[in-house]
Amino acid sequence: MNFPLMFAEGGFGLNFNLFEANVFNLALVIFGLYKFLPPFVGGILERRRATILTDLTDAEERLAKASKALAEAKKDLEQASKKAEQIRKDCKVRAEAIRVESEKRTVEEMARLKQGAASDLNAEAVRVSAQLRREAARLAIEKALASLPGKLDDKAQAKFLNQSIKSLGKA
Amino acid sequence: MGPLPFALPFAELEVGQHLYWQIGNLKIHGQVFMTSWLLIGALLALVVVGTRKMERDPRGVQNLLEFLWDYIRDLARTQIGEKAYRDWMPFIGTLFLFIFVSNWGGALVPWKLIHLPSGELGAPTADINTTVALALLVSLAYFYAGLSRKGFRYFEYYVYPTPIMLPFKIVEDFTKPLSLSFRLFGNILADELVVAVLVFLVPLILPVPVMFLGLFTSAIQALIFATLAAYYIGEAVEEHH
Repeated sequence: MNFPLMFAEGGFGLNFNLFEANVFNLALVIFGLYKFLPPFVGGILERRRATILTDLTDAEERLAKASKALAEAKKDLEQASKKAEQIRKDCKVRAEAIRVESEKRTVEEMARLKQGAASDLNAEAVRVSAQLRREAARLAIEKALASLPGKLDDKAQAKFLNQSIKSLGKA
Repeated sequence: MGPLPFALPFAELEVGQHLYWQIGNLKIHGQVFMTSWLLIGALLALVVVGTRKMERDPRGVQNLLEFLWDYIRDLARTQIGEKAYRDWMPFIGTLFLFIFVSNWGGALVPWKLIHLPSGELGAPTADINTTVALALLVSLAYFYAGLSRKGFRYFEYYVYPTPIMLPFKIVEDFTKPLSLSFRLFGNILADELVVAVLVFLVPLILPVPVMFLGLFTSAIQALIFATLAAYYIGEAVEEHH
């Protein structure tokens, strides 16, 4: 390491020995880089930017499309719910009508049944009392017929006849 | 290397000279700090300018930064895996950008126009201290990544797939930072030296192809460092079943 050191004892300063500072070669290298790098890197960056911009516009388009579809769907939903509400209302009315109708019918039916039962009962009672009357009459006749031979003599017959004639006369 | 038997009028070459700053008991290489700060400042300025007025349509610097972000994200995702890469993307990105900017800044800026009392300005990554610091940060990062994600189950990795691997895995913990730091340091310093020697011998034109090659390899070195760092972190957070 015995090279001669320029400014070995000096402090900070500038070195204007351009050959030693390698300035010419550096200038060449930097010029080369300047010629070569910007087109290369710039191309990569430009492609990247183009891709990003395409992606962005695509995304925006999709967003617009999606929001349009959303608005449409919302409108459809609104219409559908309106329709549903209408149907529900109609149904309610109809259900109410059916309920009232069936109630009325039931009440009528019940009234009819009651009436029928009552008339059946009356008819039965009439029939039974008629039968009872007939039975009582038959029994009375039988009894009368049984006791008739002992009681019926001339006197009684005359009395009966008179009585009958009297009552005829009165009529 | 002794002095050349003939005197060249064009260039000087010095190696192993540093501008020492004394901080407490530490002697630090001042020229490395100066270039690091300058390049970090430039990088920060670029990022601030690029993100100050962000728009939906990426233009100019914003587009460039987004492109870099995509690149670093892809790198981190492929190496670390879908689950953990988000935590480590900033680290990997910082490593990649700092190393890349350091390498190219060291190679493209005519630092030798500025004369220092001792040593010369150059790529921060051409100094072993920088690269060792970066490599140790990577070591810390992958230990932290493994321990924080898996707890003590992290050490299962040392006996995976068989306990025979244990000594190798332990040695790896030392060789990883070693290889990381020396690879980067060696490549960048070699680039600088080759260019310096060529400039010393043939001042014009001939160094230019070598300088281009240097730019290429230093970009590759930044990529390699970041990729390996991400790979080590990915290895540490990977679940073995």
